[in-house]
Amino acid sequence: MSKYVIRRVVQAIPVLFGITIVVYLILLLAPGGPTARFANNPRVTSEDREAFKKAWGLDQPPLIQYCRWMGLCNPDKGGNVLGVLPPPDAFIGNTGWPQFLPTPISGGTNGVLHGDFGVSIETGEDVGARIGRAALPTFILVGLAFIIWVFIALVIGVNAALRRYSIFDQAATVFAYVGYAMPTFWLGIMLIFTFGGPGLNILPVSGMTNTRASPPFGSDAYWTYFGDHTINALLDIGRHLILPVFTLVVVNIAGDSRFIRASMLEALGQDYVRTAKAKGLPGRVVTFKHALRNALLPVVTNIGLEIPFLFTGAIVTETIFSWPGIGSLTIGATRAFDYPTLMGVLLITSFLVVLANLLADIVYAFVDPRIKY
Amino acid sequence: MSQHLQSALTEPLVEEVERRAEEAGVDYEVTLESLNQWQLAWRKFKKHRLAIIGLGILGVLITVAIVGPFIMPFEFNSIPKPDKIVPAGRPPSLVHPFGETGGLQRDVLLLVVNGARTSLFVGFSSMAIGVIIGTIVGSVAGFVGGFVDNILMRVVDVMLSLPLLFVILVASRFFGNGNVFLIVVIFGLLSWMGISRLVRSLFLSIREQEFVEAAKAVGVTDRRIIFRHILPNAFSPIVVSASLLIASNIVTEAFVSFLGFGINPIYPTWGNVLSNSLTFLLQGNWWWPFFPGLMIILTVLAVNFVGDGLRDALDPRSRA
Repeated sequence: MSKYVIRRVVQAIPVLFGITIVVYLILLLAPGGPTARFANNPRVTSEDREAFKKAWGLDQPPLIQYCRWMGLCNPDKGGNVLGVLPPPDAFIGNTGWPQFLPTPISGGTNGVLHGDFGVSIETGEDVGARIGRAALPTFILVGLAFIIWVFIALVIGVNAALRRYSIFDQAATVFAYVGYAMPTFWLGIMLIFTFGGPGLNILPVSGMTNTRASPPFGSDAYWTYFGDHTINALLDIGRHLILPVFTLVVVNIAGDSRFIRASMLEALGQDYVRTAKAKGLPGRVVTFKHALRNALLPVVTNIGLEIPFLFTGAIVTETIFSWPGIGSLTIGATRAFDYPTLMGVLLITSFLVVLANLLADIVYAFVDPRIKY
Repeated sequence: MSQHLQSALTEPLVEEVERRAEEAGVDYEVTLESLNQWQLAWRKFKKHRLAIIGLGILGVLITVAIVGPFIMPFEFNSIPKPDKIVPAGRPPSLVHPFGETGGLQRDVLLLVVNGARTSLFVGFSSMAIGVIIGTIVGSVAGFVGGFVDNILMRVVDVMLSLPLLFVILVASRFFGNGNVFLIVVIFGLLSWMGISRLVRSLFLSIREQEFVEAAKAVGVTDRRIIFRHILPNAFSPIVVSASLLIASNIVTEAFVSFLGFGINPIYPTWGNVLSNSLTFLLQGNWWWPFFPGLMIILTVLAVNFVGDGLRDALDPRSRA
């Protein structure tokens, strides 16, 4: 078992490394580069652009840029080999140890390996801090939606499997097909029409808090306000949560409920279920103790794989409802050609995917004793 | 030989039916029709009611996309007279069954018809690019195996770990320039990974089967084995996942255009129409975003139904 875990962790390393290269390549190949944001600004001369590039280290050869961004190279050591490669002494940190080692040993603080994702070109803030700040609203929104939709999908899926081909099952099938085909952003717009300003005007349709009543979410002033008016603040966030959470739930129930139904049907067809029924166990016990527990095995893996997409999957919903999370951050950074922020977001979300894959595999091997490694 | 085999199998059957008909005293003419693989598949497909409905919807949509713009051309420089403008647009009526937009008073039906062309074009052609790349990569990985396989599959692992929606957004913004063809290429280049994994696994399992071994034993070239023996057998799973790819590409295109990173907003794609409607969201003209969205749902439903039908029809184990 531990051998298997170690092997899977080792296998993940080249993938993680590949991700950094691909993320870097995408943004390196992008025409215009980080100075594209000045393209329509007549006050920025070409000298200014060169100065900007020099200040941000963007005048260096791509490999050196990548090396520094990764934290493999020491940015204090200049020069290059053949105009392409980083010089050998750049790999040595200021303490004499290799630069890629943790900060206390190598003295290096730059780059992804040291937890430094750079500085946002758009706002001048630390990218890690920006992402960290945007992560909280996303986790609140998606976490809540996730719990609700997994619960509802379980109820629908299990009931549909227990009463196969009944009216309920067929209704659930139709719902799943339509839910699967429905674009999230369209559902969001329609909800805004119905419950927001143009329609009933009973629910807020944008943002996370009422900006007239409280300071912007995430600022220090907000937390002071939150401490003073906790109940009001929570109620306010709750009201703002209703529509986006509803959108996410409707769209995501479809796939999961179908998956749970299929898994449950398979479990119900197993011999041990027939045995349990044959020896006269009550229906509830057979359903919940014998069938459901086994049906949940593949469901757990599948849901585990969905977790990183929670981070990215809410991008649509966040845009529609102006939710100040990772999705809005990404859209804003894409609009502004803010390379460091985009690279940070892409990198962190990809790492989460790899991590979730790894965890799902390990958990599956752990909970299913039939699997031998 | 096959002719001989067929008559040996079918002749007793024909005789049996005729004998029984004679015994019962009815005049009964028996002819046997031999169906090839495609006729069998079509017969199974026809039994799938939803798939036929889906095919019908898709047929109508494609016809509308091809013919519609000739009948209802979209003129983006036509501007209504100021006294005709109703800021909130006009709700659906007999003249304008889908209503009129706010602002430039476009007929929503006209926008939807013209949008169908772009949306379906993007969906189908990016699917084609994705399937071609995926099939080539998967075939090479599955047939050559070893080191090449390992490298290609690690590339696929890396690509699948990236949050594709983010990457598509960023790529469309940075490389797309609002150009339909570039968007198609970007979508194609970012949607082949699933197909390549599928094709690889199909190659690995088909490669080991007896008929491939037999072909190898009689000295058939690798190229002929790939194109004549393995790929035709891998055809149906590829078609099914290709159909799902169309649906997801149509939705993604709408989303990317909706955010303003996709196709140039002056062209009426479904995503662009939805996006433009946001400016007038508070005016309450619900018909503006409603109908393009309905079209997306209809298309995706139709494609998924056809995909389901194809899966059943092309599976030789299921019987009609």
